[in-house]
Amino acid sequence: MSSVATPSAARREAGFYLRRPGLVLSVAVILLVLLWAVVPELFTAHDPIAGVPAERLQGPSAAHLFGTDETGRDVFARVVHGAALSLRATVLSVLVSLIAGAALGLLAGSRGGWVDSLVMRVVDVLQSVPSILLSLALVTALGFGTTNVAIAVGVANLATFARLMRAEVLRVRTGVFVEAARAAGVRWTGVLARHILPNSLGPVLVLATLTFGTAVLEVSALSFLGYGATPPTPEWGSLVAGGRGFLATAWWMTTFPGLTVAAVVLATNRVSRALDGERRLV
Amino acid sequence: MTNGIPRRLAQAVVVLWAAFTLSFVILYLLPGDAVLAKLGGGDGGSTLTAADVAREHAALGLDDPVVVQYGKRLLAAVQGDFGRSIASGEDATTLVLNALPSTLSITGLGLLFAVVFGGAIAILGTYTRSRWLSQFLASLPPLGNSLPTFWVGLVLIQIFSFNLGWVPALGSDGFSALVLPAVTLALPTGAIIGQVLAKSLRTQLDEPYVEVVLAKGASRARVHFGHVLRNAALPALTLVGVLAGNLLAGSVITESVFSRDGIGRVTASAVSAQDIPVVQAVIVLAALFFVVLNLAVDLLYPVLDPRLAGRVTAKAQSRGKAVSGV
Amino acid sequence: MFGNPVRLLSATGLVLVLGLAAACGTAPAASGGGDAGPPRAGGTLRLGISSNPDCLDPQQVGTNAALNVGRQLVDSLTDQDPGNGKITPWLAEKWEVNADSTSFTFSLRKGATFSDGTPVDAAAVKASFDGIKAIGPKAQLGNGYLAAYKSATVVDPSTVRLDFSAPSAQFLQASSTMSLGVLAPSAYQKTPEQRCQGDGLVGSGPFVFESFKSNQQIVISKRKGYAWGSPLWKHTGEAYLDKVEFRIVPEPGVRTGSLASGQLDAITDVQPVDEPQFAGNGFTEPVRANPGIVFNLHANVTRGVLSDVKVRQAVLKGVNRQEVTDTVLTKNYKPASSILGSATPLHLDLSKELAYDPDGAKKLLDEQGWAPGPDGIRVKDGQRLTAKIVFSLVFNQNQSVLELVQQQLRKIGFDLRIEQRTTAETTQLTLAGDYDFIWYNTTRADADILRQLFSTKAGNRSKLAAGNPLDATLDAQAATVDDATRKPAVEQAQRVIIEQAYAVPVFELTQVWGLGPKTHDVAFEASSRMRLFDAWLAG
Repeated sequence: MSSVATPSAARREAGFYLRRPGLVLSVAVILLVLLWAVVPELFTAHDPIAGVPAERLQGPSAAHLFGTDETGRDVFARVVHGAALSLRATVLSVLVSLIAGAALGLLAGSRGGWVDSLVMRVVDVLQSVPSILLSLALVTALGFGTTNVAIAVGVANLATFARLMRAEVLRVRTGVFVEAARAAGVRWTGVLARHILPNSLGPVLVLATLTFGTAVLEVSALSFLGYGATPPTPEWGSLVAGGRGFLATAWWMTTFPGLTVAAVVLATNRVSRALDGERRLV
Repeated sequence: MTNGIPRRLAQAVVVLWAAFTLSFVILYLLPGDAVLAKLGGGDGGSTLTAADVAREHAALGLDDPVVVQYGKRLLAAVQGDFGRSIASGEDATTLVLNALPSTLSITGLGLLFAVVFGGAIAILGTYTRSRWLSQFLASLPPLGNSLPTFWVGLVLIQIFSFNLGWVPALGSDGFSALVLPAVTLALPTGAIIGQVLAKSLRTQLDEPYVEVVLAKGASRARVHFGHVLRNAALPALTLVGVLAGNLLAGSVITESVFSRDGIGRVTASAVSAQDIPVVQAVIVLAALFFVVLNLAVDLLYPVLDPRLAGRVTAKAQSRGKAVSGV
Repeated sequence: MFGNPVRLLSATGLVLVLGLAAACGTAPAASGGGDAGPPRAGGTLRLGISSNPDCLDPQQVGTNAALNVGRQLVDSLTDQDPGNGKITPWLAEKWEVNADSTSFTFSLRKGATFSDGTPVDAAAVKASFDGIKAIGPKAQLGNGYLAAYKSATVVDPSTVRLDFSAPSAQFLQASSTMSLGVLAPSAYQKTPEQRCQGDGLVGSGPFVFESFKSNQQIVISKRKGYAWGSPLWKHTGEAYLDKVEFRIVPEPGVRTGSLASGQLDAITDVQPVDEPQFAGNGFTEPVRANPGIVFNLHANVTRGVLSDVKVRQAVLKGVNRQEVTDTVLTKNYKPASSILGSATPLHLDLSKELAYDPDGAKKLLDEQGWAPGPDGIRVKDGQRLTAKIVFSLVFNQNQSVLELVQQQLRKIGFDLRIEQRTTAETTQLTLAGDYDFIWYNTTRADADILRQLFSTKAGNRSKLAAGNPLDATLDAQAATVDDATRKPAVEQAQRVIIEQAYAVPVFELTQVWGLGPKTHDVAFEASSRMRLFDAWLAG
């Protein structure tokens, strides 16, 4: 972690980004999407829900950047307004996998013995059942709706986090500072909270960023299979899935939301790669 | 990490049992059941009565206490009998096994494409001296992973079948009908292979032995394709289990888009019909596949490379799963 | 270490977009054209259908996909004229009905045989009806038609009498459906599950079952020597087509694309969004509304605010049916003009009563003391004017239609909460009566469907009290096949349902098919299902 205080450090920092326009762009994409979620009305004047039937199925133009859909709604407005719900769903799904998975992995890695065996078998089971199948069943059980879809996707991805967290804990656990802390008489929970958790969390957070992108796609896939709810408020996954019937007649309806998803997935991928160690190489 | 084979087998059995139980519990807890889905599902003006439903439940043994139902199912399943599909009355095992060849043919070809393209991208991307080409190739896998599978499938059909007429959009007659579904499946899978292999290649290239071999006068190509690739391919092997699950997930979508029969279609409709026998047959089959593959990989791994045994497995697996799209 | 994925992405994206734009610009190639010429025998019709039937036995199934296949395999005792709803001869040359419609005697035509060679005689008809009755609720539609079926008697080899324990005027129409189509006695030596897969599915129809590959296709072929078609059909003798392949294509875009590119000859379930694609350019688009109960918000009058008839009436007035068909559907779909679809015999046009009248709705609610609350939704004594509607995704546009209705009702201050459930759960809730509003439609070309769903002695979906005036009219129409008596009763029932707003009709489900340039005369029968006997392919 470099400090930004000294001029030379600041220059190095600037150089780091200058040589990585892709990373800068990625960060910009993520910031833009976050802004869409918070203040959508700054970006579009069109109503995302009520359409103008007279302007249905128009191609992209200056008035409608991404064209209009079958009821005359502005697709760009729907993408912008959809950011909030999409991001909320994805963040929720990632949080479910992250928190539950990390907790399981932490438990398994730090306690070892039969607890480890038990947790890892549970993880095995979760991984051996294809995640899409698990998601399908969970959505049917929890009921339709974006939140439930997000939870289902989160649970299906949980096992990966548990495995990674456990591996990290096992790695850190044997570290010198942990041994030292233990020798100094620090209680096990203290060691866990102060040394093991912060040191092993890094890679898990990177995984979370990666999963963030794919979670959007998984929600979209469930929408395609008829499991994602399409509430009046737009959501990216269901925009892509819902517009597919128009691929032949109005390609913009599914293509632009699709490209938006792709851009966000790519941007988060890029950022997570940076977090993964590019900084350390400087 | 090198457990005895008997212990690994015991663990595998536990995983299978747990998958069986988990699927039963989830489906049992769902509101409604297969009988209601079947008898009331066809028409909105259904004249079904509660008495009809009760009679049908009794006929199928669904009015037994849940523990008895579970016990019976488990006992039968151990003998390979998952019961009959409630929706169609066919034997669940036969139903699933009949759908298997179709899925295996597209996933098999898909895997082949994925290995070829993913491998080529990773190898070229790390071998080339052109910074531009290297960057271009490195950004392909994330792109492959950022497009929804169904969207890719529909675009491919639109272009190559509807507009160019090169391949049929429907059905499963001959090799030409296999190409587009396989390509669709290969895209996200190839992306994972490309990403993991590239990362692994870079790690290997940083190892001191590379310098040593180069210093000894070996050509760059020889080092790259000989030593480095061989060592780097090993971690990718642990991805097999993940890829299998990934391909199965992809087949649910791909088979719908390309109007094919297969495990994916059977699964999706069984889940929505809450057809417990069929869902359990699929889940146990999938779990069996996973368990056997992982067992094989774990047992093979130390044989192929004792140095790396147990170290990379967990991490590579998690990474592989994380970058997998649906 | 890595490059610039975003710039790359936009470049790739642009290529993709341009490629798509170029690729999608071409219109479906038209060939053949207008001159139909005389029908030509031969050929294989490749027909794209939208879902995989779990079962093919027409006596058991309830979905359109399955019924469209089953209709070709079996003949029925009678046929129904899709033009005027009249029941006409088919396997039965004539029939007699007793005074209270509890006994039906059919005289069968001679010479008809099942595809296993056995004759279609009185004994076979008896075996078939007993067989349907025996499988109970597995006969999803037949179970309702034969609810009061007691027994069949073979009077002589070509005369069969069917007796019912209660007046069953509807049975005459039911005898024309494929659900009561006649299967050979040998079919009942197989289990219902075997028949579902085509094993023992032996009928006397113009086509015979050939093969069924789940999730792929169903193949049927022409019955050689078929000569006992219904007089309503266009030609006599054998069907024109040699074979029909029902290809199962779940993805709507792939169905339409395959038709447009000539990989299929015909498709069912053209989505509203795809309809313009097949206007003109050699393609044809047969359309017919389903008879029976239209898509409606069926109220449970024992629940919350819906127990007040004025509130229900306000909802009825607050729905803009024309806007629903104009925006979410297409001009092929009709706004509801009664609880019965316009293609149902004895349908009464109540469009005036169902006119959009938001002011009238608001006035009713004002009078009842419902005052607009802070969020626009009305409140009275701390209670919000709200009700829940349960639906499942049987028709693709359900969600959009309900969302629009929700917006419309919001304008009069009524909060409609939409809940999607699985079909199993919807069935469960319907059985238990656990709903405020329930959303459904049902296909039946006989007005008796009203009795099945509204009578307190049958489905009673509104949860009415026994002995209400509606019951009397519903019983009256069930007791006679004579339209002179039946008509006033059925019309009265429709009027009461709308006046009391027991259900709020919205729109008529409509079948929209797409036919390729070479495909001709794929016809609708009276229940808007498919009739392939007259269909032919131009050379």
